[in-house]
Amino acid sequence: MPPHTPHTPTQTSTASSSTPGPLARHHFLLRRLHSLSGIMPVGIFVIFHLFTNMQMVFPGKFQHEVAFIHSMPALLFIEIFGLWLPIGFHALLGIGYMMNWVPNTISYSYRDNWRYTMQRITAWIALVFIFAHVATLRWRLNLWGWHTPFYLDAVNHATGEVIARGDDGEPLALAHASTAMALQSSYAVLAFYIIGVYGVVYHWANGLWTAAISWGLTVSVQAQKRWGGVCAVLGISLGLFSAAAIYGAMSYEPTAQEQAAIAQLAGTDEPNIEVDHPEDHETKSPEDAGTGVSSGH
Amino acid sequence: MIKSNKPKTLTFKIKRQDDPKSEPYWQAFDMPYRPSLNIISCLQYIAGHATTTGGKDVAPVVWECSCLEEVCGSCTMVINGRARQSCSALVDEILDETGDTIITLEPMSKFPVVRDLWVDRSRMFENLKKVKGWVPIDGTHKLGEGPQESPEQQDMRYALSRCMTCGCCLEACPQFTIDNEFIGAQAISQARYFNEHETGATLKDERLDALSEVGGVSDCGNAQNCVKVCPKDIPLTESIAATGRQLTVHHIKKFFTGK
Ligand code: SF4
Ligand code: SF4
Ligand code: FES
Repeated sequence: MPPHTPHTPTQTSTASSSTPGPLARHHFLLRRLHSLSGIMPVGIFVIFHLFTNMQMVFPGKFQHEVAFIHSMPALLFIEIFGLWLPIGFHALLGIGYMMNWVPNTISYSYRDNWRYTMQRITAWIALVFIFAHVATLRWRLNLWGWHTPFYLDAVNHATGEVIARGDDGEPLALAHASTAMALQSSYAVLAFYIIGVYGVVYHWANGLWTAAISWGLTVSVQAQKRWGGVCAVLGISLGLFSAAAIYGAMSYEPTAQEQAAIAQLAGTDEPNIEVDHPEDHETKSPEDAGTGVSSGH
Repeated sequence: MIKSNKPKTLTFKIKRQDDPKSEPYWQAFDMPYRPSLNIISCLQYIAGHATTTGGKDVAPVVWECSCLEEVCGSCTMVINGRARQSCSALVDEILDETGDTIITLEPMSKFPVVRDLWVDRSRMFENLKKVKGWVPIDGTHKLGEGPQESPEQQDMRYALSRCMTCGCCLEACPQFTIDNEFIGAQAISQARYFNEHETGATLKDERLDALSEVGGVSDCGNAQNCVKVCPKDIPLTESIAATGRQLTVHHIKKFFTGK
């Protein structure tokens, strides 16, 4: 409950008397784009991402899928316009919208109210998780000693030098091994991934349900229930994919060759990464956190 | 719970506030139990015996009420943590539910307190003005007969017409705070009520524009508390979704007609 702050008793309809800013003028459009950006590029990406990860339970498949994604044309373009801009937009507006509510699940402990509150909690979880996930794996940053870089294969992409080769003579495949080493690096990372992934899945599935109300697709209570069933099935499927992916990563035992290649790649300076100052190889205490992070490429 | 097992005394913990600017404080009052009490009759007793459990004589507690049959909405307050009408809140039922002889009464937290349990609910009226919650029939010429309405349409609109502007839906809404701009389920549902009226629909575009602004429908977070606390069983979440649909159509039209 908010404090009873002194307050002018009557709010007359002058809220918009001062000229509204661009955010206020396009309020409706921004809200709808916020809703759309969560579902369309970002949500669809999450589905494909988890589907790909799930293939870690089938040996060899994951490498193939990731290699396919990395081979896509205009990948950087897709990444920027299909992912970063929509995610950034969704996150920024979302943070703004979340400044404006008061939780009241204690007095009104309906399931829907919990569902709504969880949507806001998982928003923060997703925000932190996605950032840390991308920063540590994709950008290969060292976050306070948390250094779990992802490599597609044993190639130093800066120099083109092949560090190790597999039995087939191709550069050694490292997608599965480096993901496995990331998740196996500590229980804290594992717990963070479990909470983060399930937070994201919940946020997306529930967002899909509420978006149908906001856009006016599901008007009647029955329609909302039915669509709720669809969203639940989607959410649970993604949850199972995630469980499979986590199992696939945790049960994999990287070979000595893979471990050596990953250590070498993480150790050699990849010029476009700039994280591997010698001191980064020591596990750091949080106190010297500031020096642990340097910018990505 | 067994009905015969009734207490001798009831204790009311009441959150009081002397005027809109002063700090709230709590006082407790005891009163003898009688069968078939409602919260208003308890408040009447307490007003007549304005002595706290500590034996201090105080100013009588102030509250608002009018119809005493759950149609005016003026007696709405927070009883044991939940917003409802005090005239239809029966002590026997509360005792059965909670098994506790202590009952807490607070003013609604989303409206400015005037005094004690009495709040200023005029924000709801202002919101009705924002969404033009009326049928425009003012004029000098004869308008003839009103439009025909199908029984289904009548049923739908009748359900919406029952709103008594009590404020429960707003009190329970996590998106509606004492000082933000959200207009809440009550005004959204009333906008739909008038948009669905054939003559009222002449103002539909203006209503939808008002509902697109900051504080409009899209500020709803779909917690769906409103529909659960509405004493009049108004299908508020359906109103919100239906208005969302009208807005989708309205803005696509606007986008392509350029108006
Ligand atoms: S919609 Fe229901 S809860 Fe809200 S003000 Fe009207 S009657 Fe009260
Ligand atoms: S659905 Fe939830 S957020 Fe929307 S008006 Fe109702 S209580 Fe408020
Ligand atoms: S006095 Fe009118 S609703 Fe309670």
